[in-house]
Amino acid sequence: MIDAKNVKKSFGKNLVLKGVSLSVKPKEVVVIMGASGSGKSTFLRCLNGLEKVDSGEIYINNVEITHNKTNLNLVRREVGMVFQHFNLFAHLTVIDNITIGPIKVLGKSKEEAHRLAIELLKKVGLEEKSNHYPDELSGGQQQRVAIARALAMNPIVMLFDEPTSALDPEMVGEVLNVMRSLAKEGMTMIVVTHEMGFAREVGDRVVFMDDGQIVEEGTPQEIFTNPKQERTKLFISKIL
Amino acid sequence: MGGFFNIIWQNLPQLIYGAKLTLFYSVVVIIVATFLGLIFALFKISHNPIFKKTGEVYVHIFRGLPLLVEIFYIYFALPMILPLHEWFHPYFTPIAGILALSLNEGAYLTEIIRAGILSIGKGQTEAAYSIGMTKYKTMRYIILPQAFKRMIPPLVNQFIQTIKDTSLLSVISISELTRQGQMIISTTFASLQIWTAVAVIYLAMIFTLTGISGYLERRFKIDRR
Repeated sequence: MIDAKNVKKSFGKNLVLKGVSLSVKPKEVVVIMGASGSGKSTFLRCLNGLEKVDSGEIYINNVEITHNKTNLNLVRREVGMVFQHFNLFAHLTVIDNITIGPIKVLGKSKEEAHRLAIELLKKVGLEEKSNHYPDELSGGQQQRVAIARALAMNPIVMLFDEPTSALDPEMVGEVLNVMRSLAKEGMTMIVVTHEMGFAREVGDRVVFMDDGQIVEEGTPQEIFTNPKQERTKLFISKIL
Repeated sequence: MGGFFNIIWQNLPQLIYGAKLTLFYSVVVIIVATFLGLIFALFKISHNPIFKKTGEVYVHIFRGLPLLVEIFYIYFALPMILPLHEWFHPYFTPIAGILALSLNEGAYLTEIIRAGILSIGKGQTEAAYSIGMTKYKTMRYIILPQAFKRMIPPLVNQFIQTIKDTSLLSVISISELTRQGQMIISTTFASLQIWTAVAVIYLAMIFTLTGISGYLERRFKIDRR
């Protein structure tokens, strides 16, 4: 479903991705871990073209998104993304945040988009907040709305870029719960996170990145209890 | 004291005529200049080097010159190269006036609008892209509505400036408020009364605009990010 081959990317002289390859199968939940600056967020952002790769290829459903003739707008409809800082549209209410994509991008009717949005809000447990503005919600609530906004596009894969890193500890659980139920429903997910518990429980595969490369990958069990590489061991010992 | 108001009263029709023209030029220039400002602001933030440079040059020139020089240049100098006064006869004078003012105010508005757009965080653009919005839709539905709210105070400032700047159109014999005042005084010599009346009319227009802006700010809840 997702196939990244030898992706390289630099910001100025700073080489942040030194050839990253990763394949993700449908319904798989892949957790990417690594220290900050390891390139994991940049790699994730390459997967929906928010960052342009310098070289290498990325295929999503057999479409090469790194080809410069590919219409990225069409690709992004199918690739949902959830950001560390939520990035809800500040001038729109919760319901409008969710319906604007289906209405303005997919051309759905207002009624249809509204119905879908209410359904999604129920799913993330925020139905009663539909007419509030983002700045009236807690961080955890905002992130759940952001997940609903991405789901409203009916994506084939969801990318999560440190979705709980900006949250107060007591709000992490509510967001992880939503992600957990998404995974159970069979959504293909790539999650950049430091949440070991989540990775263990929900992840099919854990990928450890360091210094712009994938150092090691395996089942959560393998990575957390029996890491083979020194760098992985060091990282695991620090976050445990 | 009765004489003071009497002379104003007698010349009120002319003053009102002038005020109407001032209002007309202000409204037209504000509309044209806002359009120019939006276009050149988008040019300046464009990644296309030609657009970017065009926007920069525009602002440099039309913000860099005194408005009076721009008016004289378009009205007197340009017709020496291009027979604009023949092409646009008999409307050359109002067109030259509107053009000069719009180009000048547009340069200031470019910077106001650009600053407004840039003040909206990158995360909003990325979120819009992430749900498949094109650059145009992102600008139209996500960035500009938020930027506009932040732009209201500086925009109103510039619109007030525009109203006042229309008084310079008197130099190319457009009979707006200031010129009407001058003409009345040239026959009545009632400087104090007429300039007072002119001042009061300008202030009334500007207070009205300030009132509208206050309403807009409340309406769009400007404190909401």
